[in-house]
Amino acid sequence: MNVTKFSKQYVLHLFLIPALVLTLLFNYAPMFGNVVAFMDYSMFDGWMGLGSPWVGLDNFKTFLSEQWFYDLALRTLTYSISILIFSFPASLILALLLNELRNQLFKKIAQTVSYIPHFVSWVTVAAMLYMFLSVDMNGLVNNIKVALFGGERLIFMQDTKLFLPLLIVTQVWKEMGWGSILYLAAISVIDPHLYEAAAIDGAGRWRQMIHVTLPGLVPTTVVLMIFTLGSLFGGNFDQMFNMQNIVIQDQTNIISTYIYYQGVKGAQFSISTAVGLFGGVISFILLMIGNYVGKKISNTSIV
Amino acid sequence: MANASTNTRTNASANASAVDTMPAVRKRHKIRVSTGERVFDTLNILFMLVLIAITIYPFWYIIVMSLNEGNDAMAGPIWFWPRKFTLINYEYALNNPYLIQSFLVTVARAVLGALLSISVLLLAAYALSKRYLKFRKTYIFLFMIPLFIGGNVVTNYLVIAKFGLLNNFLVYILPGAFSFFFMIIIRTFIEQLPEGMEESAMIDGAGYLRVFYHIIIPLAKPILAAMAFFVMVSAWLDFSSNLFYITKKSLYVMQYWLYLVTLGQSNTDFMDAMKVGAAIQNAAQGVSAQPTPQVLKMSTLVIVTLPLLFIYPFFQRFFIKGMLVGAIKA
Repeated sequence: MNVTKFSKQYVLHLFLIPALVLTLLFNYAPMFGNVVAFMDYSMFDGWMGLGSPWVGLDNFKTFLSEQWFYDLALRTLTYSISILIFSFPASLILALLLNELRNQLFKKIAQTVSYIPHFVSWVTVAAMLYMFLSVDMNGLVNNIKVALFGGERLIFMQDTKLFLPLLIVTQVWKEMGWGSILYLAAISVIDPHLYEAAAIDGAGRWRQMIHVTLPGLVPTTVVLMIFTLGSLFGGNFDQMFNMQNIVIQDQTNIISTYIYYQGVKGAQFSISTAVGLFGGVISFILLMIGNYVGKKISNTSIV
Repeated sequence: MANASTNTRTNASANASAVDTMPAVRKRHKIRVSTGERVFDTLNILFMLVLIAITIYPFWYIIVMSLNEGNDAMAGPIWFWPRKFTLINYEYALNNPYLIQSFLVTVARAVLGALLSISVLLLAAYALSKRYLKFRKTYIFLFMIPLFIGGNVVTNYLVIAKFGLLNNFLVYILPGAFSFFFMIIIRTFIEQLPEGMEESAMIDGAGYLRVFYHIIIPLAKPILAAMAFFVMVSAWLDFSSNLFYITKKSLYVMQYWLYLVTLGQSNTDFMDAMKVGAAIQNAAQGVSAQPTPQVLKMSTLVIVTLPLLFIYPFFQRFFIKGMLVGAIKA
């Protein structure tokens, strides 16, 4: 039977249809939906609203000439990069430390516990945060503060300066353990002979960690870094949306929450799509830069 | 699995025998253990204990508060144990018709979504595991592009609206059913299966359909279980599809309902969601032992959050295996 003939393998092509249809409907259609950015879009003009008048780059000119857009873009990057700077090393360090634990049972318990927060939604994390930081007697943080230092009970969640630190803390708390899984997996495939050789050369555990374990983690780290670079300009919608409140919303919006409020809530489809598309293009460029740099420094890349 | 694979390095297991055969190394090693390393080990264990405490205590605190009488909780700080124990907060939270409804919706979307998802993924993965498949590269390319460029919140919304999926249960399960990453993981698994069985079945005249049904599905069960678990977890935790596309109360999922109760910015949302307006007013004025909004929020939080945390350790082996297969591929 000659399986390479199309007529012999058409069943396999049929197998691909569900996946292709879903991808076309829910990935490609929204991708082409970006044309809305070049229109003065109204849902009811023609088929799928595609009869709306074309306006060229007008939408882009509108927001590129206004200060709020630069504030928004800068804030998105600042938030994403700050979170990255803390959460990336946190997972790596946790993996290294877990790996140094001698008692296997304790190691297993520590690992299992560290995954717990990953199985909690951002709604829950934000709700817990608001309760711990609340002004009344349910507010754990205020309780601790007053018990230790005395003084006033503070209103934390209306302070825009605290918002970024809280984003970092919650992100690290929630995903540090889960992020360490990949590093632990990468550590487990490092050739044990390397450690033996290092030990014979007189390297203690610390030097083994620096000279064997860490270099073994470089490829994993680079791949993760590239993917994260691609998402820098989008930001984590669930985290941001749930942690915001009306008082600080305008001072803490990032691109994804902004286009949600403007586009989905406010029905300003064209301008918000334009902002989103602009962000998407920047993300793509960052991804490609990361890919290129990764290739240069460690021969690792994703495309 | 994770632990079996991650302990290569420690002295306790694999390396112990290797070290035993080299007395010189062992001796040197011993000297090192007795010095700075012991300090490091102690600090490391202490650090892990602190980490465990920081992870567990917030949940413990929520549970404690949810078991405490509302007005008493407002009277002064509570740390480790309920001061005035009561179950009334749970009684109120569980009496809410929306909770049951949203629980059913969440379970339905998780189960149906997982079934749909693994069917679509397995079919595609099996087809793409055949190296001789025509247009194979083209298909993979088509599936990969959306990883790099795509729509955004607004274009997704417009498309979903135009497909008539607003306020439609299908919006929970269709858009996320196919995932390139998961498909590659399953394909890698299928490629590692022994080919003999499939070949002999084909020689006996079985077509792809029969091979798929009688050989591939049974053999792929472990990886399918892992993927199904992943899909169900993300369905359980998903909040934004409800936020974006659903406004009909009977279709709310638990996470959205939790959002309305705990974070919703309007008090009417809360009262409406809890159906306990009057009772809470009484409680606020200290008239009765009714729950206050704060403790009701806590009990709701516990009800929505905890089930998964108790289930996940039992599935830990599965999902870590899944993660690792994917990681090695990536």
